[in-house]
Amino acid sequence: MTALLRYQADLLLRSQRWLPPVILYAVFLGVGVQSGQPVLNSLGYTAAALLPVAAWLVRVCVTGEPPAARACVAAARGPARAHLACLLTALLAAVLLGVAATVVVTLISTPVSDGHRVHIAPLRAAAAGLPVVLACASLGAAVGALTSHPVLRSTGRAVPALLLGTLLAVVSAGSPAQAAISGLVTGSRTGRAHIALLPPTVAALCTAAAFAAAAWLAGRRSP
Amino acid sequence: MNPDPRPTSVRPMHPMHRDLRLTAVGRRYGIRGPWVLRGVDLAVAPGTLTRIEGANGTGKSTLLRLLARLDAPTEGRITGRPRTAYVPERFPSALPFTAAGYLTHLGTVHGLSRADAARRAAEWLERFGAGAYAGTPLTRLSKGSSQKVAVAQALLGDPELLVLDEAWTGLDTAAREELERAVAERTAAGGAVVFVDHDPGRLAGMPDATYTVLDGGLRARTDGGSPPAGPVTVVVVRGAPGGPLPPEAVRIALSTEETGPGGHRLTVPVSRSDVLLRTLLTARPPWHVERVEPAGAPPPDPGSRP
Repeated sequence: MTALLRYQADLLLRSQRWLPPVILYAVFLGVGVQSGQPVLNSLGYTAAALLPVAAWLVRVCVTGEPPAARACVAAARGPARAHLACLLTALLAAVLLGVAATVVVTLISTPVSDGHRVHIAPLRAAAAGLPVVLACASLGAAVGALTSHPVLRSTGRAVPALLLGTLLAVVSAGSPAQAAISGLVTGSRTGRAHIALLPPTVAALCTAAAFAAAAWLAGRRSP
Repeated sequence: MNPDPRPTSVRPMHPMHRDLRLTAVGRRYGIRGPWVLRGVDLAVAPGTLTRIEGANGTGKSTLLRLLARLDAPTEGRITGRPRTAYVPERFPSALPFTAAGYLTHLGTVHGLSRADAARRAAEWLERFGAGAYAGTPLTRLSKGSSQKVAVAQALLGDPELLVLDEAWTGLDTAAREELERAVAERTAAGGAVVFVDHDPGRLAGMPDATYTVLDGGLRARTDGGSPPAGPVTVVVVRGAPGGPLPPEAVRIALSTEETGPGGHRLTVPVSRSDVLLRTLLTARPPWHVERVEPAGAPPPDPGSRP
């Protein structure tokens, strides 16, 4: 699996197809996060913006490898494992991006609650924000896995489904990402940085299920 | 997953314990699509060369994808999971690697260490006459050179099953011959090879079995499968009087004949002559090769390569 991950990571890095989603994320953050704003609010925004970016990164990884090259790798290791490596690479990229953004946003934000009433220690804020960022990264990757090859094979259906899926994952009640983000926003209002571990756990389980389903399907559906 | 872990009784020296077996396999695309293949029974044993024939669009590629386990059958079952390498019909150039970089990655995917993978990548590129392109980005390679990379990718891991989907297409003459030799080496080392090629003379005389895909079914071709249609080489060897030839050599050779005490004459397809010589020279006790000469059809330079 290490060899597969290295191959996929190298493929992603060298293809430079990671640039558009990363630039999109930078633009999201540039518009929504300004230095001096309350830290938890900004971290909530950072996490929410990561979800569609993670989904796009999965799409980049899944569609980036030409089918014949994919077949060579799949013959050696089985199509399921080859596809899983592809999804994990995208998830890893999204997590790295999210962690970097969390650090930057924590540093440039003011460690206070809304209205500058309560002081929130930056480390505490980052500890509360990081699980939310991870929940969004993994849920975004799950949406990406379920809306690209081999689950949805035509681009015409896959892209709208991806957009709709990420929107629902961010706003709909009951989504672990939405629960985690609103936890941060509430914390920003009350001044209590609560570290919630339930949403990221639920998100991780959703992602595991989505990845397993997509990988299983990769071995049954020809391109 | 594999309810068929048979003990290794056939060839103790070789690693492929489980042969690949297709039982009543059918494949169609879509829930109501027409059957591309149906009722296919096929066993691929270690050390055998299998040729698949058929007109365009009959399902040869689908069958090869099933054999390489890239695709699952709609009905029936496939057992056995040898370490497999696959050469696609057309290899993409849209990969952001150099030839050597890509092959090193693929070598590690096939289970080699990084250093081994890099070394073997260089060796195989050299064998196919593409050593000069090791540092060239794949996007800048010609179609033929890309195909060499595709073939090297499959060979560098010493696979137990090698699946070639028209792998010869686009290669130059020297590389074609090299690939034929590589296939002969693979089967001699106990690996199974399954191939499709448009050229009826490809590896002529060598396949242990030839099948034709026709109307979604698979038919074994028994006519004219075994006689050596291609050029052959005669190898004259001498060993201890009364000592039998190595069974491996007997299997590779088309025919053997004892010329005197300890002397033997072996007839072998040209593409397999290197493998035969290696088998004889590395046997214990070793055999003394007295003569290698062309026979039958006019091969200009048997046994050695240009």
